[in-house]
Amino acid sequence: MSVRIRVERRLTQPVWIEAFIPLFSIVMALVTGSIFLAVLGAPPLQAYNAMFRASMGDWLGIRDTLVKAIPLMTAGVGVTLAFKMSVWNIGATGQIIIGALATTAAVRYVYVDNRFVMFWLMFLAAVLAGGGWAAMAGYLKARWNVNEIITTLMLNYIALQLLYYFVYGPWRDPASLGFPMTTPFPPAARLPFLGTGRIHLGLIIALVLGVIFWLVFRFTRWGYEIRVMGESPRTARFAGMDYVKNVVLVMFLSGAIAGIAGMGEVAGLTGRLQHGFTAEYGYTAIIVAWLARLHPLTVILVAFLIGALHVGGEVLQIVMRLPLASTQMLQGLILFFILGGEFFRRYRIRFHTGEKE
Amino acid sequence: MKKTIVLLLAVAVFLFGSNAFAFDPIPEDELQVGFVYVGPVGDGGWSYMHDLSRQAVEEAYPGITTSYVESVEEGPDAVRVMETFVRQGFQLIFATSFGFMDQVIEVAEQNPDVVFMHCSGYRTAENVGVYFGRMYQARYLSGLVAGSMTETNTIGFVAAHPIPEVIRGINAFTRGVRAVNPDAVVRVIWLYSWFDPGKESEATMALVDAGADVIAMHADSGAAPLAAEEAGVYVVGYNNDMSGYAPTRHLTAPIWDWGVVTTRVVGQVIEGTWQSENIWWGMDAGIVDLAPFGDMVPEEVRTLVEEERSRIVNGEWDVFWGPVADQDGNIRVAEGKRMSDEELLSFSWYVQGVEGEIPSN
Amino acid sequence: MDVVITILAAAVRSGTPILYATLGEIITEKSGILNLGLEGLMLMGALTGFSVSQLSGSPWLGIACAFIVGAGISLIHAFLSITLRANQVVSGLALTIFGTGASSFFGQRFVGTTIPGLGRVPVPGLSDIPILGRVLFNHDLLVYISYGLVAFLYWFLVSTRTGLNLRAVGDTPRAADAMGLSVSRYRYIAVLVGGGIVAVGGAYLSVAYTRMWTELMTAGRGWIAVALVIFAIWHPARAAMGAYLFGGVVAFQLRLQAAGTSIPVPLLMMLPYLLTIAVLVFITIRQGKGILFGAPGSLGQPYFREEG
Repeated sequence: MSVRIRVERRLTQPVWIEAFIPLFSIVMALVTGSIFLAVLGAPPLQAYNAMFRASMGDWLGIRDTLVKAIPLMTAGVGVTLAFKMSVWNIGATGQIIIGALATTAAVRYVYVDNRFVMFWLMFLAAVLAGGGWAAMAGYLKARWNVNEIITTLMLNYIALQLLYYFVYGPWRDPASLGFPMTTPFPPAARLPFLGTGRIHLGLIIALVLGVIFWLVFRFTRWGYEIRVMGESPRTARFAGMDYVKNVVLVMFLSGAIAGIAGMGEVAGLTGRLQHGFTAEYGYTAIIVAWLARLHPLTVILVAFLIGALHVGGEVLQIVMRLPLASTQMLQGLILFFILGGEFFRRYRIRFHTGEKE
Repeated sequence: MKKTIVLLLAVAVFLFGSNAFAFDPIPEDELQVGFVYVGPVGDGGWSYMHDLSRQAVEEAYPGITTSYVESVEEGPDAVRVMETFVRQGFQLIFATSFGFMDQVIEVAEQNPDVVFMHCSGYRTAENVGVYFGRMYQARYLSGLVAGSMTETNTIGFVAAHPIPEVIRGINAFTRGVRAVNPDAVVRVIWLYSWFDPGKESEATMALVDAGADVIAMHADSGAAPLAAEEAGVYVVGYNNDMSGYAPTRHLTAPIWDWGVVTTRVVGQVIEGTWQSENIWWGMDAGIVDLAPFGDMVPEEVRTLVEEERSRIVNGEWDVFWGPVADQDGNIRVAEGKRMSDEELLSFSWYVQGVEGEIPSN
Repeated sequence: MDVVITILAAAVRSGTPILYATLGEIITEKSGILNLGLEGLMLMGALTGFSVSQLSGSPWLGIACAFIVGAGISLIHAFLSITLRANQVVSGLALTIFGTGASSFFGQRFVGTTIPGLGRVPVPGLSDIPILGRVLFNHDLLVYISYGLVAFLYWFLVSTRTGLNLRAVGDTPRAADAMGLSVSRYRYIAVLVGGGIVAVGGAYLSVAYTRMWTELMTAGRGWIAVALVIFAIWHPARAAMGAYLFGGVVAFQLRLQAAGTSIPVPLLMMLPYLLTIAVLVFITIRQGKGILFGAPGSLGQPYFREEG
């Protein structure tokens, strides 16, 4: 008598599995996290409650979370687009920075004292610069099959050095007593806020982009082609699809969207470019895109949840007096469990009793 | 012209921005004080020193509650962190990096009942005070030591970012070096990073290779002193006493004690006497000082430093009183003149004795 | 000439932590598993190496423990990506977040302390060779071990049975499986050993290079190693070249400044990254279109053995 375990790929994924598994993973992560919190001497339920209340418990919390989530949503949609085609654009960070630089350049060099005109000038600048930046990697991949993971990663560092160059050099605000930051943007170059909080126009842009690309992938021929090229380049070639052209195009769009995220951060929130602008969340956007299983609308939701995790983590520091490190470990744990849970979504495990077959 | 006016306005705000405005007293056991750090408290440097000032508050006022958020990006995140503090009922918030400036003002406008103290900035409001220390005074004294100890007459300076605060420190240090040793020169390496121990260590070795036998620093980790110890050259630390990193080579270090400010401000908030002010205290207040001398520093150098220190503390003289010459020997500040605070705050040229150019100028 | 020698020696010294990380990742990737958690692994390695050295007084015990801890944390990644077939990019990023947090958390009490660490041990005889001696043979033992590791890894991948098997598992897991190799076992061992070596790179930073511990002290070196693996096209010797090139550019610009030359540092610091792209383009073109030479065929793809 022996028990044999067999792993089988699920042929269909029932709705309850789709919903239940991620929830179960999160619960497991929270249970493990609570052991960890208890060891640190923080009552777990109280900690989770504080995290939830601060990030989603009331309108103020939701507002904070939304503001944090705007760039994650936007860049997440951009990354998703490239990933659909199996183009591994991990350069959202650099594209965000370039978008912010281009926005600042637009304000400096072609300023028009009209909110509407100025918005479109900044938008255009961010799109062209962010898109062009990413399209360079796209072109290298299309033309010579140069690995885009590396080129986009390298371009992140180059973008950061460019930022340093400009804020320390030609763009340094003479009124800032020599500190590395640009002149504050005039009011016409600021994105309008929606309502009382700091939620700015960028939220609408993110939502619109999410919906547009959901429609594109669902209903258009081009969207279908991109998916085919992502899943099976060979099939796509036989079907006569232009892989080369589309790699460049997809990278351009992906970078352009990340560039818009950069515009949102400087024109919407900070109102000037300064040294501390790091856009590390460009990497988080990759996690968002994957957790959302490359679904543009789910990206919006997941970005919100990741934003909540971040906002809640700060409250743990304030209320529970836990160091940042402990919330990072908690975040890592949650990701591990969700990743592990995916397995049970895609596969089923069967236990066979009896003699060996 | 327009830019000049803006600059003057900024300086005017810095200098005369105090407003009379009364806040209600807050009982000690009800007061919650929040700290916002730009780096991890475990950086052993800037944020670490600010966390010591938080602990100083807890020691001085046992009934008080303090809390901090570390590694906060200078941007939108800072706004949210400060708003969260306010929402949790914190009535006093210390924001401890220059890059939080706009964000402090933004949150302070929305929350006029909460007191904000911003370290190293220049924008104030009725409920926003700024604080900083005249670190350059301590740097000058450390320069006297370095200038006395060098034999190659080349001194290396490992510097983080080319901003006025750091340039001012290099200049003050160099003035100290040249006061005792007119032949010595100071060479600067810019890291373009506040925090990269590997690079700080490598920069130290590069300076040693270039002939430096004393290393000074303005960066946030102890990597430079460690590298200096290993290379067998003297080192002047920064932030706190770094002799632990270089037991046989540590001459001294210009150090911060932010607790002098934080405990005072907390006391005022408890009493209800706090008013917005620009704190730019010097050595007399104890916010900056020199770490204890290493054994190798000879008696006459110690005596000299003591004399100079008392001249500064008593207000008889300060580091940037004329004559001050720039790198080419041109007198920028004539004898009998003094550099004003606004000139010090926007320092963008090297004094005589520094080699090289300031980047992007 | 002297300046050139010191720059080259500095290039070796500051390239070594990146070299270890790159070599570790090469082993991991050769089995077909992509591990983007290098930054987290290096930080854990740096902390373990430092703390154990300090508590036990033995730097070598510290480095050994760093290897074990690196392998142990990589086990999470191995379990997720091999057994549970999870997405390797996300798992790697999660590992970075977790490792960063864990190293900061457990490292708090070691901030501000120092250890004697590893001293310099010139190799008798070899260190007297003109130029080369000072560039290559005037360092600590961990640097020499990295030379040996480069040679060993090359030999291992090219000439040994196990090495060939490992490459087969990374290139065509299905064929390897048909040959009777256990794909999972090879991948598990590769991820664990690779992760351990990455962590030794972190330990080099804290035990030999700076001899201190501070949070986030790797300052992005893990990411540079990720890039170097592809720059090196999974070749151990080219990994060494790439790591020293990176170290060299930094050492070069610092020494230019030390010599009193004023240079636009941000523009200069773009150089290594631009150079990486340029070399990558050059190598890719020369190999012709199609798959990169040396790239494991199934990199990043989980292997699923369909059972009857």
